[in-house]
Amino acid sequence: MTAFRVNGEAVVSRAAPDTALLWVLREHLALTGTKFGCGAGMCGACTVHVDGEPVYSCLTALSDVAGMEVTTIEGLSPDGSHPLQRAWVAEQVPQCGYCQSGQIMRAAALLKENPNPSRAEIRDTMSANLCRCGTYNRIFRAVERAAEEA
Amino acid sequence: MASSMKAKAPTPALSRRAVLAGAAGLTFAIGTGGIAEVARATASPGRGALNPSAWLSIASDGTIAIVFPSTEMGQGSSTALPLILAEELDADWDDVRVEQLNRDDRSFGNPIFGNVLYTAGSTGVYGYFDSLRKAGAQARRMLMHIAADHWAVPLASLTTEPSAVVHAESGRRLSYGEIAALPYADLAVPEVAEEDLKPRSEYRLIGQSVPRLDIPAKSTGSETYVIDVRLHGMLYAAVLRAPVEDETPTSLDDGEARAVDGVVDIVTLPDGIAVVAETLEAAFAGRDLLTVEWSEAAPARRFDSAADLAAYAKAAGNQGHQATKWRSSGDAATAIGQAERVLEAEYLSDYAYHAQLEPMAAVAAVDPDGKGAEVWAGTQTQSWTMRTITEVLGTTPDRVRLNMMTMGGSFGRRTALRQEYVRDALLTSKALGKPVKVVWTREDDIKQGWFRPAAAQRMRAGLTAEGRLTGWHHRVATPSVIAYFNPLRWEQVDPSDIISMRGSESGFYKLEHMLAEHVITDRGARVAPWRAIGASYTSFAAEAFMDELAEAAGSDPLDFRLKLLEHNPRGRKLLETVVEMADWTKRSPSSGLGLSFAGYGASMAAGIAEVQLDESSGEISVSRFWAAVDAGLIVAPDNALAQIEGGIIFGLSSALKERITIVNGEVEQNNYYDYEILRAHEVPEIALHLQDSDGPPTGVGEVGTPMVAAAVANGFHSLTGRRLRHLPFTRDRVRAALT
Repeated sequence: MTAFRVNGEAVVSRAAPDTALLWVLREHLALTGTKFGCGAGMCGACTVHVDGEPVYSCLTALSDVAGMEVTTIEGLSPDGSHPLQRAWVAEQVPQCGYCQSGQIMRAAALLKENPNPSRAEIRDTMSANLCRCGTYNRIFRAVERAAEEA
Repeated sequence: MASSMKAKAPTPALSRRAVLAGAAGLTFAIGTGGIAEVARATASPGRGALNPSAWLSIASDGTIAIVFPSTEMGQGSSTALPLILAEELDADWDDVRVEQLNRDDRSFGNPIFGNVLYTAGSTGVYGYFDSLRKAGAQARRMLMHIAADHWAVPLASLTTEPSAVVHAESGRRLSYGEIAALPYADLAVPEVAEEDLKPRSEYRLIGQSVPRLDIPAKSTGSETYVIDVRLHGMLYAAVLRAPVEDETPTSLDDGEARAVDGVVDIVTLPDGIAVVAETLEAAFAGRDLLTVEWSEAAPARRFDSAADLAAYAKAAGNQGHQATKWRSSGDAATAIGQAERVLEAEYLSDYAYHAQLEPMAAVAAVDPDGKGAEVWAGTQTQSWTMRTITEVLGTTPDRVRLNMMTMGGSFGRRTALRQEYVRDALLTSKALGKPVKVVWTREDDIKQGWFRPAAAQRMRAGLTAEGRLTGWHHRVATPSVIAYFNPLRWEQVDPSDIISMRGSESGFYKLEHMLAEHVITDRGARVAPWRAIGASYTSFAAEAFMDELAEAAGSDPLDFRLKLLEHNPRGRKLLETVVEMADWTKRSPSSGLGLSFAGYGASMAAGIAEVQLDESSGEISVSRFWAAVDAGLIVAPDNALAQIEGGIIFGLSSALKERITIVNGEVEQNNYYDYEILRAHEVPEIALHLQDSDGPPTGVGEVGTPMVAAAVANGFHSLTGRRLRHLPFTRDRVRAALT
C-alpha cells in the first residue's frame, strides 16, 4: 500500500511498489491526460510534477512518491484556465495533441521557477519533451505569452 | 488498486443519436454529388425513422450536426471539413457539432480513393471540397424553400444570415432550428449549380482561421485517444512478437509469465504470444518472462539494410535492369545521348520510421458468440479497419460497433489493409471473453515498424555547351510500397506505385525530354506510406541534383530553376518570394543558404535553409528556414501554417537524424535514444509565406516536407563546396564528405 496525494486528493494504491507511476496514474486512477510515449525518459509525454518538480512518471516508481504530492495535467487548473493552457489555445499549439500534456507540465515547472524565461531558456528546457507534429515554435510562443499574461 | 477517484466512464464515442434523439428535425444524406436524400428525423429515436446516412442533421433546437468522414491524426481536418459545409449552409459556427464517422459507409467516402474511407495524402480538403460545398448550399436552399412556403412568399425574396432565413421586406426571420421543425411535405433535393455557390469574397468561415475544435481538449489532457480507453472488466495484453517478419513460435515456456501476479492467460497469436493480465504492468512483466523459440526459416531473415541498399544502388545504376515508366515526356535517352555534357549522380536514402508519439494500441470487446464486437481504434481508414475486424471474426459489418479515435500522430503508419494491432485486440478478447486493450511499447513500435522504404536513385541529365538542360532521367530503385501495405490496391494499379514514386515526375518544371522510372526492387522490410511518401526522397535527389546541374552550368541555383519555370508563373513567384525573404544574395562565411523547390501533388513550395556546420563533429544544424507555399485556396490559414511548419520540421528531422537499420531481418533500433527525432533546441526559426491563389485547395499536410532535405544538402554545398548524397546526413557521412 502506497499513500500519496494526486491533485490535492489523498490516494492509496495497492499496486506493487515498483510499478511505474505512469501506469498507476493512467490505468489505476483513470488520469489519462498523462501519456505513455517511450517508457524510457526520452519523450516527456509522461511528465508530471512530484512536490512541484517535473519528473518522467514512466521512470518514477510508485514507492518513490509515497507521502508526496503528484500533480498531473488534470490538476494543473480546475478548469483548463492555467495561463499556459490559455496560451496553448491562443497560439493554437496542438496538432495531434498527444505530447501536449507533458509539454504543458514541463513549461509549468519552468515558469514556476523562472517566471520570465528567455527564448534560449525555453528552448533548452523544452528540449526534454518530443513533439513529432513539429509544434515546437508555437510552444515557445505560448510559453512566452503565458509568462507575459501571468 | 483502491483509490478515492472514480474510474472514467467508457470512452464517449461521439453520439449522433444522442443529438438527434432530443429533437425533431431534418437529416440529409450526402454523396459525392451533394445531397442525396432529405428525411425528417423524429423526436423518438426508437421508431426507425432515423436515416443511418444522416451526414448532416438540423435539429429543432438549432443544433447542426455534421459528420466528419475522415479521421483526425493532428492535421485539423475535423475542423476544416465541417467548416466547408457550414460556409455554404450559412450556419452559425457556434451551432455546429462535429460527429466522427464510425462506419465503413462509402456513400460519402474519399473520392480521391474511389470512395474508400481513407485519410491520407493531404486529400481531405480537396477531395471533399466540392461535395461539401454543394451539400451545404443544397441544405440551405431546402431551408429557404420551407420558409418560403411557410410565409407564402417567393423564394427569391429570402436571404440567409448565420443559421437563419430572413424575409427583409417584412422583417421576418426564422432560425434554422425553427424551420427544421416546420411541417413540410416536399423533401425533394433542391438543385443548385456551381454559380449558386458563394463567391470567395463572401466567405466568412473559409479563410478566416476559425480556431480548431479539438485544441481546448488537447490543452487540458481531456482528449481521448485509443490508448486511453478504459472499459469495465477490461484486461490488458502485451504481445511478444516474432523478431523477424513471418516467423512463428515453435516452442513456448510461459511458466514464469503465468506466475506473475495479475497475469490471467497466455494466448498464442499468428506471429506472437500475448500475455493477458488484469493490469498493464503485469502484462508487460509477464511478457518479459516468456521464453519463446522462433522458427528461423523465414525469408525475411535475409533482410539486411546495408546489403539491400547496395543491391538497390546496383540496380539503379545498371541501365539494362528492367524498370517501369512512372512519367515521361519527349525522348530523354536521345536528348541525353546528344548532349554536349552529361552529368550523373547517385542518391541514397535509408529506411525511416514514423515515430508518432502514441504507440500502437487497440481495444476490443468481442461478443459472447465471437461473431460481433465493439472496437476502439485510431486509424487512417474506417474501411480497412472494418475489413480487418470482419476478416478476423469472420463476420459482417452489421455486427461491428466501431469507434474511430483521434490519433496521437500517424504520418502514414495506420493506413494498411491489414491492421495487426486491431487483430490482436480482437483475438485476445475473443479468447478471454472480456474486453482487452492491447498496448505496444515504443520498442514494439520500432521493432515492428512499417517504414518508408530505402531507395537508391540514379540521376542523369544532359546540358548544352551553354548550360541549358536538355534531358532529365530519374531512376528510382525501391520496392513497391503499395504491393506490401495494400495488396488489393496493387491489383488495381500494378505496376504504377505513387507511394514509392511521387515527386520523381518533377512536374512543376518544364522538362521537354524527361523520364522517371521505377526499378521495383525486392522488399527488405515492412514498408508503408510515410509523410510525403516518395517525394521525401525523390525530391531530395531531384533538387540536390538540380543544384549540381546549376553548378555545372555555371549558373546561380535560382536562375537555373527560373529558366525551367517560364510556363509556371505561380512557381516563379514562390522562388522570387522566398529569395527575398531569405536575402538570398547576402552570403555569410559561417553559414550556407540552400534553395529547393518541391511540393506535393499540385501544392508547390520553395524553401531556403540556413545551414551551419560543426566541422570537428560533423554535426549540421539549421538555424533558419524560409518557405513560400502555394496550396491553392486555403480553408484554414493558421492551421495551414502549422501543418507546413510541422512538415518542414518532419523533413528536417529525417534529413539530419533518422535512420532504421536492419540486420538478419531484425530492426536494430529500440527507442527514441537510438532513433532520435528533432528536439526543441534544434528547430530552426521558420518564416512562411502563403501565396494567394484563385485555384482550388490542393492540400497542406505534406507540402512542407519534400523540399527540406535538398535545401539542407544545397546549403551544405554552399558552405563547404561538398555534396551530401545519402539521407540522413549523419555525422560520419558529413565528415566523410568533408575529406
